[in-house]
Amino acid sequence: MSTPDLIAKLEQLGNEFLEQTKLLADEQAIRAAQAQYLGKKGKVSELMKELGKLPAGDRPKVGAAANQVKEKIERVVEAWLVAAANTKKQADLARKVDVTLPARPVGGGHLHLLSAVRLEAIDVFAELGFVVAEGPQIETDWHTFEALAIPKDHPARDMQDTFYVSDEIVLRTHTSPVQVRTMLTQPPPIRIVAPGHVYRRDDDPTHSPMFTQIEGLAVDENISFADLKGTLLHFVKRFFMKDLGVRLRPSYFPFVEPGAEVDMQCSFCLGSGCRICKHTGWVEIGGAGMVDPDVFKNCGVDAERYTGFAFGMGLERMAMLRHGVNDIKYYYEGDVRFLEQF
Amino acid sequence: MKVLWSWLLELCDLDAVPTVEEGARALTRGGIEIEGMTNLGAGFKGVIVAEVVGKRPHPQADKLTLVDVITERGGAATQVVCGAPNVPAPGRKVLWALPGAEIPDRQNPGRFITLGKKAVKGIESPGMLCAEDELGLSDDHAGIVILDEDDSTALGSPAQRALGIDDWLLEVNAPANRGDLLGHIGVARELAAMLRGKVVWPDADLSAYTKPGNVKLEIAIASGEECPRYSARVIEGLAVKASPRRIAQRLRAVGVRPISNLVDVTNYVMFELGQPLHAFDADKLKTGIIGVSSASDGERFTTLDSQERSLVRGDLMIRDGDRGIALAGVMGGMDTEVTDGTTRVLLESASFKPLLVRRTARRLNLHSEASHRFERGVDPELASFASARASRLLCMYGGGKVVGDIVDAYPGKREIAAIPTRLPRVQMLTGVPLTETACRDALERLGFTVMIETQNEMKVTPPSVRTDVVREVDVIEEVLRVTGYEQVPSTLPVMRQAPPVRSASRADVARRALAAAGVSEAITYGFQSVDRVNALGLPGTDRRAQPIVIRNPMSIDQAAMRTSLLPNLIAAVARNQSYGRGDVALFEVGSVFLRRGERVTEGPMHELADEPTWAAGVLAGARPGQIGDGTPWDAFDAKALALEAIRAVAGDVRVRANPTSTIAYLHPGVAGELLVERQGRLEVVGCFGELHPDVREKLGVTGSVFAFEVELDKLPLAEPAQMRAIPRFPGSERDVSLLLAEDIPAGRIVDVIEAANEPLVTRIRLLEDYRDAKLGAGMKSMLWSIAYRSPDRTLTDAEVDKAHETIVGRLVENLPAQRR
Repeated sequence: MSTPDLIAKLEQLGNEFLEQTKLLADEQAIRAAQAQYLGKKGKVSELMKELGKLPAGDRPKVGAAANQVKEKIERVVEAWLVAAANTKKQADLARKVDVTLPARPVGGGHLHLLSAVRLEAIDVFAELGFVVAEGPQIETDWHTFEALAIPKDHPARDMQDTFYVSDEIVLRTHTSPVQVRTMLTQPPPIRIVAPGHVYRRDDDPTHSPMFTQIEGLAVDENISFADLKGTLLHFVKRFFMKDLGVRLRPSYFPFVEPGAEVDMQCSFCLGSGCRICKHTGWVEIGGAGMVDPDVFKNCGVDAERYTGFAFGMGLERMAMLRHGVNDIKYYYEGDVRFLEQF
Repeated sequence: MKVLWSWLLELCDLDAVPTVEEGARALTRGGIEIEGMTNLGAGFKGVIVAEVVGKRPHPQADKLTLVDVITERGGAATQVVCGAPNVPAPGRKVLWALPGAEIPDRQNPGRFITLGKKAVKGIESPGMLCAEDELGLSDDHAGIVILDEDDSTALGSPAQRALGIDDWLLEVNAPANRGDLLGHIGVARELAAMLRGKVVWPDADLSAYTKPGNVKLEIAIASGEECPRYSARVIEGLAVKASPRRIAQRLRAVGVRPISNLVDVTNYVMFELGQPLHAFDADKLKTGIIGVSSASDGERFTTLDSQERSLVRGDLMIRDGDRGIALAGVMGGMDTEVTDGTTRVLLESASFKPLLVRRTARRLNLHSEASHRFERGVDPELASFASARASRLLCMYGGGKVVGDIVDAYPGKREIAAIPTRLPRVQMLTGVPLTETACRDALERLGFTVMIETQNEMKVTPPSVRTDVVREVDVIEEVLRVTGYEQVPSTLPVMRQAPPVRSASRADVARRALAAAGVSEAITYGFQSVDRVNALGLPGTDRRAQPIVIRNPMSIDQAAMRTSLLPNLIAAVARNQSYGRGDVALFEVGSVFLRRGERVTEGPMHELADEPTWAAGVLAGARPGQIGDGTPWDAFDAKALALEAIRAVAGDVRVRANPTSTIAYLHPGVAGELLVERQGRLEVVGCFGELHPDVREKLGVTGSVFAFEVELDKLPLAEPAQMRAIPRFPGSERDVSLLLAEDIPAGRIVDVIEAANEPLVTRIRLLEDYRDAKLGAGMKSMLWSIAYRSPDRTLTDAEVDKAHETIVGRLVENLPAQRR
């Protein structure tokens, strides 16, 4: 074979390859075809075996031609692959999904409204340095009443109709025994919030025989009634996310002195008066006051050196006021139609 | 307590008469909660006071009368037809409902009838003369209302004024420590203090009603502590009759049925002054010695409600000689009761130890207006004044005379100690910069005496009636109350460093994890019915089968404390099914209540309970699907949730699941117990599986329910997770297919692989659990994949093969199994 012939053959191989690739279906096929031309035993290599027979002076020229063919084939492969990828992408982009079909359910679990509200309340008080304390629901009469200056025959026991397990063991009627337990085990300064279930013999749309209180206690030097008011105001604003006022009204609880009922501006009408607040602009949210010196005495706290405030609120009431729950029974029935709303 | 506004105003001297709203607001501001306000005169409209000036029979009907009435002196008379039998003679006043008047519609309570002009047997009657029932005052239809002869209400005035019901009734919620507020005078004292007025004591002058004489009467009090004061007066020449309309109307308004002048006066003065009084028929007393002493155990006594009571030591008795005549402060006796024939009474005005009255009243379930007051403390100082006031009214309305002087035994007279009160303490505790002048003014308005000792200290003496004020802090409350809680600023307590404690409890960690895993939280009652406890079918040897019972439950559904969270949750599934919701996935995290100790005990409990925190869940129906129903829940969902709760609390601990058939409330073939290693020992921390069909049935659930329980308190608390090195070298996997007996659990295969202790094993995965009859009876095929990796080099095939072959060899030998 002459040099020009060989060069022509090489060029022909290039054109042949180009033609062949037009019919190929996938990447695998073109790689095979590429190997058929450019592989060790491929068509280009076969032709190049002729190189030895040519005059030495022609060899660079043929070598250059062979390189051109190799490059051409590689370019063709490259271009083919790009085109194939593009076609594939176009096909993919032509897909259509009915996005109005329902979403696939994920999660789907809900914390109970009272848990959510409790956790939030804890967080708000945590901002002021209060930590959570807990105590038993089945309590001694002493922790529930006596230590809190409510002796056996005190008329205040009528205020909280008590479930008894035995003469000396009761279902706690409030979370206040946690105050007692805390003060007995920990010296001041004390800042606790104590959420938990409490029990009273009461059952109507606004009372449940079991309900949830959150109790707060701060004992330190120089704690004042104004500190109590400020703490409650902070809570109300943060919990209701509205600029609501807090009002303290004188009231009587045996374990605080001075004692107060805590009202906040109605979160529905912002104080202008509505059905929820019976057109007073205020709703009652709990009781509070300065820890009674007798309680300090019972708990081994120096009532001269330390003062403290305590407050208690019903979480059901908080949730009612914030979420419009209109019957306390829903909280405890396990009705998923209720639970899934929050 | 019910308080009449007019009565309250009568007992106050105020610069300007407040409206009832202003009065209520002032009282509320001072801590006297007004729970309700009722306009007593709202029951009818357009009825006025008229005077009868003439009457004659109706020409057409025997029972009807034509009555001429006037509504102003010298005014023209109007003729009204009246059917009542008691039309009075000219000169007496009656109540005339004018045309257009609105009176209660007795057929439709809450609605009104509007009167017009109507012909009665041919003669037109403009409106009508009213009986009490027609105005909704009482059920009395015996005749029309005739005002008392000396009634001074002007003609033409609204009937409400003549009836004493142009008035408001306030429902006052007196705090339990304020016995002094259980009489109008006490509330008047508060109102006067808040509005800077004075209290006006009612007239108790007896000078016109005393006749000289000596009463042979001796009072013998056994204990001055139990009965600080006992006073008695004898009043003679009384005639029993109905009380004046005004007295009866006031009593009715505050909730007491008028009976007769003698009884009504004692009640009236009790509501006026807060001092309970008792009138004995003096002619039925025999000895002239009134004793106050304890009852003896088993003593019998018949109270005036005709009940024979059995007494115990400690019940305080009033005695005539040895004979009991009253349960002190609670109720009088039948023997000495005032009756229609009574002409002489012995009027008791006394005070008793609150605790004794309370115990007796509670034990006998005999709560009276008197006991209510004595329980809250009646000031002994009040006794003599109240006695005089009541005696005066008895004489006025019963026509009698007081004989001689009061007989008054007062062994318990109390010295009222002055309370040292430090101004800086007042300011510190309240957070209000109150001045000495402000404190003094506030206290004096309440009737306290204030002596300035030094610059910073006052000596404060409360009035005797304020037995609740004994300490400095009590005085501070009084000051703050009168000066106003609204002036208290809002400050925050000084911040303190938080203690180094965990901020989230096991319970809340588990709650969040379970909610995130797709189940919703329920909160159920801590108590339940005993039946519900029993529904779990637990053996009697299980502590959970002996719940703590409530001594005074409100219903049998709330009689026993829960010993497991499951029964209430399963019942919730049943309730949801009844609403048509079959797909229910609920969990609860909370306390259960167990008697202390390992042994099963019964009977009353005298110590605290164990209150471990559990997490439990129930799954019924199917999970939510995207299109159509999702896949039904099964035991592995329950297992997953249990593991979720465990790992949320305890971190990345090894949890072992063992098959079990001994959990009473789970299906014996679909149940596992979960174990966690703690301090080198495997401890059962929970279980999961399918509910036993018997349990479902007892709790009313249809269809399968899967459940789990985890005792959170048994879990170790996770320490902050420490990062493990990310593998730098590739690992290899090898599969092994085994043919083995169907009853070899998957867990056993994992155990064997782990027991081989090959350090290169990093993961064991089950790829296939295949069961087919073709495999041979009782056989199954399992395909496992084991991953091998070294942290410090790329493993060679030879190394991996060697480790894998060792493990496969162990499996084949130990399970046993065939390699496929």
